[in-house]
Amino acid sequence: MDLMLLAPEITLAITGLAVLLIGLFIPTDSKKILGYLASLGVIVSLFLTVSSLGTQATVFNDTVSIDALSQFFKIVFLVVALLFTISGIKYTEGNSHTEEFFTLGIFATIGMMFVASANDLMVLFVAFELASLATYALAGFEKKNPKSLEAAMKYFIIGSLSAALMLLGISYVYGATGTTSIPGIAANAGLLVSSPMGLVAVVLLIAGFGFKIALVPFHMWAPDTYQGAPSVVSALLAAGSKKMGIVAALKIFVVALIALKAEWQIAFAILAVITMTYGNIVALNQTSVKRMLAYSSLAQAGYITMAFVVLTPMALGGGIFYALSHGFMKAGAFIATAAVAYMVLSENKDSNDPDHIDNFRGLGRRMPVTALCLTVFVFALAGIPLTAGYMSKFILFSSTIQAGFVWLAVIAILNSAISLYYYAKIVKYMYFLPTDSEKISEPLPYTIAMVIAVIGVLVIGFWSEPFVYWAMEAAKVLIPGGF
Amino acid sequence: MLPILSLIVLIPLIFAALTLLTKTKEQARSLALVATVSVLLLTVYMYFNFDSSIADNQFEELVQWVPSLGITYHLGVDGISMPLILLNAIVLPLLVLFTWNDDRKSPNKFYALILATEGAVIGVFTALDFFLFYVFWELTLIPLFFMVSIWGGPNKHHASIKFFIYTHVASLVMLLGIFGLYFAAWENTGTPTLDIPILIAQFQFIESGIAKDMIFLALLFGFIVKIPSFPFHSWLPDAYTEAPTAGSVLFVMLKIGGYGLFKIMLPMLPFTASPNLMITIMAVLGSVSILYGAFLALSQKDLKKMVAYSSVSHMGYVTLGAAGIVSLSVSGAMFQQFSHGLIMSIMFMSCGIINNATGTRIINDLGGLAQKMPKLAVIMVVTFMASLGLPGLSGFIAEVSVLAGAFVSLPAYVIIALLAIVITAAYHLWALQRAMFGVYNEKLGTVADINSYQTISMGIIVILILYFGLNPSPVLDMMLTNSEHITSLMAVMGV
Repeated sequence: MDLMLLAPEITLAITGLAVLLIGLFIPTDSKKILGYLASLGVIVSLFLTVSSLGTQATVFNDTVSIDALSQFFKIVFLVVALLFTISGIKYTEGNSHTEEFFTLGIFATIGMMFVASANDLMVLFVAFELASLATYALAGFEKKNPKSLEAAMKYFIIGSLSAALMLLGISYVYGATGTTSIPGIAANAGLLVSSPMGLVAVVLLIAGFGFKIALVPFHMWAPDTYQGAPSVVSALLAAGSKKMGIVAALKIFVVALIALKAEWQIAFAILAVITMTYGNIVALNQTSVKRMLAYSSLAQAGYITMAFVVLTPMALGGGIFYALSHGFMKAGAFIATAAVAYMVLSENKDSNDPDHIDNFRGLGRRMPVTALCLTVFVFALAGIPLTAGYMSKFILFSSTIQAGFVWLAVIAILNSAISLYYYAKIVKYMYFLPTDSEKISEPLPYTIAMVIAVIGVLVIGFWSEPFVYWAMEAAKVLIPGGF
Repeated sequence: MLPILSLIVLIPLIFAALTLLTKTKEQARSLALVATVSVLLLTVYMYFNFDSSIADNQFEELVQWVPSLGITYHLGVDGISMPLILLNAIVLPLLVLFTWNDDRKSPNKFYALILATEGAVIGVFTALDFFLFYVFWELTLIPLFFMVSIWGGPNKHHASIKFFIYTHVASLVMLLGIFGLYFAAWENTGTPTLDIPILIAQFQFIESGIAKDMIFLALLFGFIVKIPSFPFHSWLPDAYTEAPTAGSVLFVMLKIGGYGLFKIMLPMLPFTASPNLMITIMAVLGSVSILYGAFLALSQKDLKKMVAYSSVSHMGYVTLGAAGIVSLSVSGAMFQQFSHGLIMSIMFMSCGIINNATGTRIINDLGGLAQKMPKLAVIMVVTFMASLGLPGLSGFIAEVSVLAGAFVSLPAYVIIALLAIVITAAYHLWALQRAMFGVYNEKLGTVADINSYQTISMGIIVILILYFGLNPSPVLDMMLTNSEHITSLMAVMGV
């Protein structure tokens, strides 16, 4: 076994432990260094992952596989982790628990990366829980803020329930096929199809993943958690943790349970339509920007779920590509709200809802860089051309038409038109509504994180070829010969 | 060779970004003038090197962009797009001159948006790849949206949002049509491509007639909302009226809907499953727009609203001419786009001047302005005459070719349109008489005539209206070449 294959994960694990240990021994005012260390570790890990693109191998007795799919999603998670650690430098300024913040973030990322590489349901579940436990703690990071605690509590209870459902579903699959290896299940799928246990397993797994990906009607926790958790953590949850649910669902449904396609395909179609429509319509009326982004995140998950319905190589590639774009757009947008919250709180420590849309009035003048970046993010989320969001929708929606699901594409496109309204509302507040407040200096780490995300959004939108290529390669891992 | 098409698209876009960084009005307007004049010079150079005897795309540029999806960076001009690029290249520097001495908030953003619109519109006219086409198509929306919502009139937020959502939904429907075409051709040929000429050529090989009609109607919907044509015109009066003067002129320059009709719809038309139905749809929409727009214009109290509705009426000739599918009517419709662009820019500039000078645009509150504003009065009289179709001015040539050409193929619809001619003359003359002539309304106080920048810019356009009215061949020749090419296809198919 070649340990170099796991170099990105090992680097991260060492970084995480180092951050934790160093943090124990240094005073609070010098803990800024931990953020730099964490970011460095993530950058090294990202570099190692990118340089090993195209590797094809399995380790740990075939339970962990390194292939185009896992590498692609690892890049998504590492990019989100990088944005998380950079903006975390500012967020944790002066906080005595800085080391916990970064360590938990890094361990969550390791969990996500192992989910992406998992080739066995047990590895997948353990990695899934590693990531989930770390993010439960992160959501409640602001111990004195009741909203943050409520967010963490809801997330923890619902998350545990969904994990239990998932595990129960996995146990049925194991009971019917006698193996937990993902290719092994696919090979023995006949046993599942012929037994009623197959259907039970599918229902349990859809519910389990529905919670994690926040598909309506399993979404109730998501708006509260995304709104209540610190914005930087919301970025990790919406952009990273949710993608972990998607890659896990891809592995379980599209690879392992493909034989039961007839059972789950239509369920995903209904979930996709309900989720995107509900998310967009409810988002229209929100006054909290974070809550609006949470509902928009539901809608985006609805779009990505279309890939499970269409199931052509192009649609799966489109969904995977969408996951990458969404990572940049959504993480960037949440970090922008973190910057605004910082601004509001620095003016008035007792402010109750720093993410209220009124605080975005005249942001174009008060925080020009943040406002410009947020404009790019929301336009990308709305699917305006030459951004990553447009390219993603272009591939995903067009593949839906190609496969003959015109009705689904029409619903998705109409949804996309509705969503423009609330995204444009944010832009309107930032640039058109007057404010008498003064211009303030923008916190540098947030700005750096946002600029990285903007560059990502624009580069993917403009120079899409390599990203599309790798997304399509990743889709080939799921369905080697097509259908 | 110089990548001249990329230059005329990119110069305005790059200068738009630069203009945004300027601090003063002087810097912003000078940069805008430099950019628009460079585009004009390049376009004139291109015009003189353009071969108007062939219908093919010229000055082509082709670079692979996303090969796995068949997306290319493909630009080119033909006789349909060349006159429209010329129109934009001529009017935009004059528009910058026209606004030279205006005082307004954030002039840097203002000129940046003008340049961004120019780049995007020329981008639509030159794009030969559907992906690129759609990108530019959507890009035209954004600066115009901001133009209306920042500098617009009292109702600007409503108007800008309505315009945005209305046309964005239409573009999404158009996108569905593009997808349909893309995949149908992909299935037939086995390679993905979004190249416009190739996809148009592939359209006829689609087997399912329903699929062909759906694709055609989806694209048609996107275009006629943008033209706009009855019954999808309701965004236009709001947006045109609420926009600042420069914004209204930019809207007028936005001839992308009609361009789509000629460039994409007509070559596909003979291969649809039911070409006669499609022709009927277009003819009905066109002739009703002409008549309905004219009636609405007659009933308006606000001068700018009247001009906006007259625009709906005039653009009806474009749809009707395209539906006429004989060379005369199609080239007349293309010429109408060109001529209408010139005429309407002056009409909107005049409305803006009157509003600034007197503080009102209500026709009945004006009166006798010619006594105080003689220069404006001369310019307005010539333009109004051109707009109502007086022989010897550019509007006449366009409208008479459309009506005469379409009479051969669609006599009934032409008769409907003919009814509108009287009304058109009526609302133009009546408005002119009430606003400019008669007794001066003393309540208006002292008003000054147009300044010299405005005189020069409007004067040049008036001279062009006269020139193209007497000698349309510099642009009409290339339009004829292309319309003959399109209509010969129809003849082959027996439509």
